[in-house]
Amino acid sequence: MRALLLLLACVSLPSLADLDYRLAPRQIAADTYVLEGSTEHFSRTNGGNIVNTGFIVTEAGVVVIDSGPSLRYGQALRKAIESVTDQPVVQVLLTHHHPDHALGSQAFAGVPVGALPGTTQLLEEQGDGLAENMYRMVGDWMRGTQVRLPDQPVAAGERAFGSHRLRLLALTGHSGADLAVFDEKTGVLFAGDLLFYQRALTTPNTPGLAVWLQDLQRLEALPWKVLVPGHGPLATDRAPFAQMVDYLGWLDKVMRESAAQGLDMTEVIATPIPQRFAGIALSQYELIRSVSHLYPQYERQVLKRVDR
Amino acid sequence: MRRVPLLLAALLLAGPACAIQPGADPVPSVMWEFYRKQWLQDEPYVFDERVRVIAPPFAEDARQVPLQVDARALPGKVQRILVWAELNPIPRVVDFHPGPQVLPWLAVRIRIEQATPLRAAVLTDDGTWHIGSGLIDAAGGGCTAPSVVRSQPGWEERLGQVLGARYPREAFSRVRLDVSHPMDNGLTGGIPEFFIEHAELFDAKGQSLATLELFPAVSENPSLGFDLLNQGATRLVLRDNNGNQFDAAIE
Repeated sequence: MRALLLLLACVSLPSLADLDYRLAPRQIAADTYVLEGSTEHFSRTNGGNIVNTGFIVTEAGVVVIDSGPSLRYGQALRKAIESVTDQPVVQVLLTHHHPDHALGSQAFAGVPVGALPGTTQLLEEQGDGLAENMYRMVGDWMRGTQVRLPDQPVAAGERAFGSHRLRLLALTGHSGADLAVFDEKTGVLFAGDLLFYQRALTTPNTPGLAVWLQDLQRLEALPWKVLVPGHGPLATDRAPFAQMVDYLGWLDKVMRESAAQGLDMTEVIATPIPQRFAGIALSQYELIRSVSHLYPQYERQVLKRVDR
Repeated sequence: MRRVPLLLAALLLAGPACAIQPGADPVPSVMWEFYRKQWLQDEPYVFDERVRVIAPPFAEDARQVPLQVDARALPGKVQRILVWAELNPIPRVVDFHPGPQVLPWLAVRIRIEQATPLRAAVLTDDGTWHIGSGLIDAAGGGCTAPSVVRSQPGWEERLGQVLGARYPREAFSRVRLDVSHPMDNGLTGGIPEFFIEHAELFDAKGQSLATLELFPAVSENPSLGFDLLNQGATRLVLRDNNGNQFDAAIE
């Protein structure tokens, strides 16, 4: 009996103790590190680590870009930073309000969390619901996680941290309030979720695909050297931009043409994904989501008042 | 010997129910028997893959879940299509009577409260119910979420507005309709039931093409799609449970 209990303990204990994000900071430019997540969907295996976060070690302290999906992630991120530098964290910047980017902020108590005012508002409105859904999807990884609202409004413009001048861009294409951070010293562009690469983009709060395409033009025009997308591998060429523009254009065309033919949402969802997007993770899944979010707007454009 | 007629009578009585083997339920659920008895009584039924119940595998927005029911592959004439979401607090979605000029096909958006089997029971003219099934996952809360319509200023002025269009296909034409109505289901605090409960399509001569009873599992601002063989002008009459009537016409 005792042996059986011991055996059971051995089987069950690691699964509880093993909720470790194993964050390994990778240097991508001078003073600049990225923690690259997987391109999967949220699961109990990945604990929500499907996101790219980063930090810049400046003479004036460490600037963190996005705090991750959970308190546990935020704590792991702090440890990862401490493994690289003794500098204190002086600033957290949130690119937008989505849970995988903004729910680790509790771990940075005492550090100002900056975000666009729109991000703070969206997090206030939707944060608890988003967090609740994260508990449902990734389970115990979320333990103790609560929404910490940003306490510092951020506007477009320049902010200097030591020798790093950060150009902040206030955009809207992905979530309604999207902050992109461009480091003029290193040429690293933290694009947030305005840029996805090899992972299908998500559209829950987009003001429209045309707006998103405009934002991408602005970002691409910056003198960037390294691209850090919100999801997917980093790049030093324009491949992520090309893929985004291609995919957004396709999505827009599918919904426009479907609406013009009076197709039902269930029929649009069944649209086959073109072969050229075969390498993009979760495109079938995200097509279902995007059609749910956006198709009614396309329908309304082709329907006319018929009541008498 | 006197037992034989009794036995015969019993066999005859049991006959209709035994005549057809319903087969295995593709999405077994605790509520199936309950609702079957309530709505199909003891009429013969069969689980039938030819009745397609098409919804996304998960509800991205539990208040607006697209649902397509397609019974065009069934032989015989379809008289009635009953649709329900089995684990919903308000399970019934629609009770559809397509006439000969209307294909046994329907698109609607519904609310679901949790992950649930979806059913379409299709009655053909031989008296058999053909049961199509589906399954949808959901984070939940679609039925008890606060009204989106009521949070929009001026919704009362838009009440009963209908947006629509006709899309010609080769052998039929698709009619799409979006109706402005809160479809209150009585599950949100302090707001009583207020929903469109009856819709009817007429041809240009005023002949009824199809009737549709709606239940408040249908989403706010109901979105409906029909496929009509009839090519002429189509009139739509809607009635809600407060006695409001709304008229629309599509050329």
